[in-house]
Amino acid sequence: MNLLPVTDADLNAYADGQLASSRVAAVEEAFARDPALAARVADAKRHNAELRDALDSWLADPIPERLLAAAAGPVKSAPGSARRWIAAAFAVAAALALGLGTGWYTRDLELERAGTPTTFTRQAALTHALYAADVNRPVEVWAPEEKRLVTWLSKRLGFPVAAPDLNSAGFALVGGRLVAGHQNPTALFMYENGDKQRLSLQVRKQPVDGGEVAFRYAVENGVGVFYWIEDNCSYALSGNLDRPQLLSIGRVVYGQLAALEAASKN
Amino acid sequence: MAVLADPPLPQPDLLAAIPRLRRYARVLTGDINRADDLVQETLARAWEKRRLWAAGSDLRAWLFTIMHNVFVNQRALARREKLQVSLDGGGDAEDAWQIPVRAAQYTRVELSELMQHVGRLPADQREVLLLAAVEELRYEEIAIALGIPIGTVMSRLSRAREKLRNAFADAPAGAAPLKVVK
Repeated sequence: MNLLPVTDADLNAYADGQLASSRVAAVEEAFARDPALAARVADAKRHNAELRDALDSWLADPIPERLLAAAAGPVKSAPGSARRWIAAAFAVAAALALGLGTGWYTRDLELERAGTPTTFTRQAALTHALYAADVNRPVEVWAPEEKRLVTWLSKRLGFPVAAPDLNSAGFALVGGRLVAGHQNPTALFMYENGDKQRLSLQVRKQPVDGGEVAFRYAVENGVGVFYWIEDNCSYALSGNLDRPQLLSIGRVVYGQLAALEAASKN
Repeated sequence: MAVLADPPLPQPDLLAAIPRLRRYARVLTGDINRADDLVQETLARAWEKRRLWAAGSDLRAWLFTIMHNVFVNQRALARREKLQVSLDGGGDAEDAWQIPVRAAQYTRVELSELMQHVGRLPADQREVLLLAAVEELRYEEIAIALGIPIGTVMSRLSRAREKLRNAFADAPAGAAPLKVVK
């Protein structure tokens, strides 16, 4: 046991759970000798818990757009809409990131606000599971013909789509296909990493009025789906990956879509 | 494919930090709008100075550092302005500090009392207490964030806790929760 006399610093560290394990016995022995010390630490611990209790609820407050825009960083001469797009992408990322740390309260709030059809995540997960499991024919048009794929899908969807480059995240484009959607056709891009894990990005026009951003992370049948709406388009990133992995890939996707959007508006 | 030029900050981490930055800013400033101004300024500085962030190190602790510096600078500026207006020394900004809460957040009188006591702590002690108790940063991280020696972190924390204890002990009998009678 470390027998140095117990200091204020020891007591604080004990209350904050930061005391070196070699000192714990000495401090606890001091509590036994002096109940006043024990009471002090009990007060400190109770105050900590009460402060956290009171202040944790603030973490779920929706983040104002100006802060999302500030978090997106300086955008050089971006037109308003591109900036808004980026802020929106960040709202999505914020929701996911926040969810990682503090639970999912905002998810449902946002979902309710935008009236999102919750079935899309399920549909995206099922579609992903169906094609990702198909070893030989996961896609209709393969990556070497990416240009033709993108042209075809853009034409069928009625707006330009692009396959984000996820090589930086270790996922190479396998190819893509057109899949049936609820009211509108959906474009599916499939990716694969060195471990043969697959993920898909599905894009479709949003059938309902999607003026607002909505985001959702869900696990459907074991498939993680990160889903959001922007500018009347729905996006679903699906894969048998854990949340942090899907999050980091989601980050790459937003970055690229935002950059593309900004470029197209310039 | 074009991606944003300069090495960006890791955005999910940045976004994940915002609710905590806002919370800390609210506690620092005692005002929701001023808090968001502070967070906005902090984020802008973080982007400006992103080259100074050592990739892989704790982004949240670094953001708290920036926020602390911005806050200290703003306060110094406000004091100077105030001094030009009046030299009477009354009405220090800290006197006006008030935790902005929605009434529903408190079901226990005791708790809002604690928040009031925290609000009366000097800002430097309040900062350390909040970073340790609520943000649960390591003392070493707090020292770095606030740019002070770790011994100062410990002494401020001790003083903050002593004041809280005394505040409850001094509370008028009527306002205090039931006391255990030996």
